Amino acid sequence: MTYVNGGIMKQLRIFAILLLVTVLVTGCGYSGDMIDVVSREDGSGTRGAFSEIFKITQKQDDGTVLDSTYDNAEVTNSTAVVMLTVSEDKNAIGYISMGSLNDSVKAVDINGVAPTAENVKNGTYEVSRPFLIAVRDRENAVVEDFISYILSSDGQQVVEALGYVSSEDGSEARYTGYVKSGRITVAGSSSVTPVMEALKEAYIKRNPGVEIEIQQSDSTTGLTTVAEGISDIGMSSRELKTSETDKGIIPITIAYDGLAIIVNPENPVDNLTKEQVYDIFTGKITGWNEISTDTTE
Amino acid sequence: MENNQVKERGMKILFLIAACASILAVVLICLFLFANGLPAIFEIGPGKFLLGTKWDPTNNVYGILPMIVGSLYVTAGAIIVGVPIGVLTAVFMAEFCPPKLYKIMKPAVELLAGIPSIVYGFFGLVALVPIIRNLFGGSGKGILTASILLGIMILPTIISISESALRAVPRSYYEGAVGLGATKERAVFFTMVPAAKSGIFAGIVLGIGRAIGETMAVIMVAGNTAVMPTSILSMVRTMTANIVLEMGYATDLHREALIATGVVLFIFILIINLCFALIKKKEA
Repeated sequence: MTYVNGGIMKQLRIFAILLLVTVLVTGCGYSGDMIDVVSREDGSGTRGAFSEIFKITQKQDDGTVLDSTYDNAEVTNSTAVVMLTVSEDKNAIGYISMGSLNDSVKAVDINGVAPTAENVKNGTYEVSRPFLIAVRDRENAVVEDFISYILSSDGQQVVEALGYVSSEDGSEARYTGYVKSGRITVAGSSSVTPVMEALKEAYIKRNPGVEIEIQQSDSTTGLTTVAEGISDIGMSSRELKTSETDKGIIPITIAYDGLAIIVNPENPVDNLTKEQVYDIFTGKITGWNEISTDTTE
Repeated sequence: MENNQVKERGMKILFLIAACASILAVVLICLFLFANGLPAIFEIGPGKFLLGTKWDPTNNVYGILPMIVGSLYVTAGAIIVGVPIGVLTAVFMAEFCPPKLYKIMKPAVELLAGIPSIVYGFFGLVALVPIIRNLFGGSGKGILTASILLGIMILPTIISISESALRAVPRSYYEGAVGLGATKERAVFFTMVPAAKSGIFAGIVLGIGRAIGETMAVIMVAGNTAVMPTSILSMVRTMTANIVLEMGYATDLHREALIATGVVLFIFILIINLCFALIKKKEA
C-alpha cells in the first residue's frame, strides 16, 4: 500500500508546491490601499448621468464619444451590489442614487458640499439628475389627473419622503381631483420605478377605481413605447434626446435625484473634489494615500 | 379492440408532438441565434470580433477576445477546483462511505444541485470575496473567486455522474482485484476508477458545460471588467456576463454584437456536447 500511494503522494506534493508558488507570486503584487473603483454597466442611466456630470464621457469632434472610465474598474449591474461591495471593501468607491443611501456606506462631500436633498434643491450639490415622465398627448383624463397629482404638494411630499428632491415644476396647491375609473400604463426607467410605485399607491388610495400598470425596463424603452402609443406615461432618468422630442413626446420633471459618491464607513476620506472623483474614475489616481494627503492638507 | 387501436394511435401522435416540441425549440434557437448574430459578426469582421481586445460599444468597437479568454480561464479554474474534489467525493461515496453517513451525504449533494445560482452568487459575494480580499488584497473579485465558486457549483454534476459510473462497474472487478491480493484502496483506485473512466469524464464534461454557461453567480463575483486578465486575481468578464450586463440597453449593432457573443458561446457548448457524445460512444 505504501508504494502504491507513493505515486499519488508524489503527484499531490508537486501539485501543492505549484499551487503555493502561484499563490506567492500573485500575492506579491498586492499593495495596501489601492482604490477599488466600482462602476456600473455601460448604458445604465446612473452611469450615464454620473459620467456626464464628471465629464468622464466626452463627445469628440468626430462625433464619437470618448469614455475614459478606468479599465480596471469593476462593473456591476445593480445598486445593491455596488453598496454591498463598498460596505465590505474598505478601499472601494462607487456611486449610487441618493434615494438608496443607508448606513452601510458613507457618502462623501463633493467640493465641500454634503449630498443632501436641500443641497440638491438649492443647486450647491451639482451631482444630480432629473427624473422625468414623458407623455405623448394630454388628452387622457386619467393621465392628466395622475400628472396633476404627481405635481401637487401631496405628490411631491411622496417624492420627498423617499429621499428624492421635489421638482420645481411642482405646485404648492394640494391635489383636489378625482377620477372614477380608468386604466393607464406607465413604463420605463428602473431608477424612477420606486418613486412611481409610491406615487401610484398614494394615488390609488384617493382614486380607488383607477388601475395603473407599471412596467419596469429602462429609459429608452419607456420613451419609445410612449412615442409608439403603447404606454401612456414614460419614465426616464435622463434628459430626452432631440430625436425623442421630435416624435412629439413632452417631458415633465417630477423629481431630482442626487448621485452620492460612496466609500466604506471606515474610510477616513470625507470630502473629494470633482477633479479627484474624475481622476479616480479614470484611473489617474489609483491609491487612497494620494487622496488623504490632499484633503487633510 | 378498435377502441384500443384508436387510443394507441392517439397516444403515438401525442408522444411524437411532445418529442418534436423540444427539437423544434432547439432548431428555433439555432435559427434565431445565427440569423441575428452572424450578420453582426460579418459587419464587424470575424477577425476583429473574435480577436479584438477592445470592447467599446459607445464607439461601435466590438472585440470579444477578453470575454472568450475570461470564460476559458474561469472554466479552467472551476475544473481545477471542482474535478479533484468531485471525483474523490464520488469515489468515497461509492466505495468507502459508511451507510449512515451516505444517508446524509447523498441528499446534501442533491441539495447542492438544487440551490439557485443567484444564491450561490450572493454566497460568493458575502463569503468568498472578503476571504480572497483579506488573503491576497485587491477587491477580492476576479478569476480566482469565480473559479472557486464555479468549482463548488459543478460539484453535484461531477459527483452524481461519477458515482453512478462507479456503481455501474461490475462488482466482479473489485472482487477479482481483492482476490489477487490488492488492498481495498488499490482495488478501487487501480481497477474500479479506470473501469469507470468514461463515465467520470462524461461527468466532468457536463460540469464544464455548466461552468461555461453560468451567469448570475459569476456576474456577482468576477468584477466584469472587459479587459484582458493579467493575473489570477484580475477581474474578468465572461461571455455570459457580457450579454446579461448590456442586453437591457443595447440597440442596433450593439444588440446584434451581444447576440453574436451568444453565437460564440453556443459554439463552445456545441463543442462540449460533441465531446460528451464522443465519450459516450466510446463507452458503448
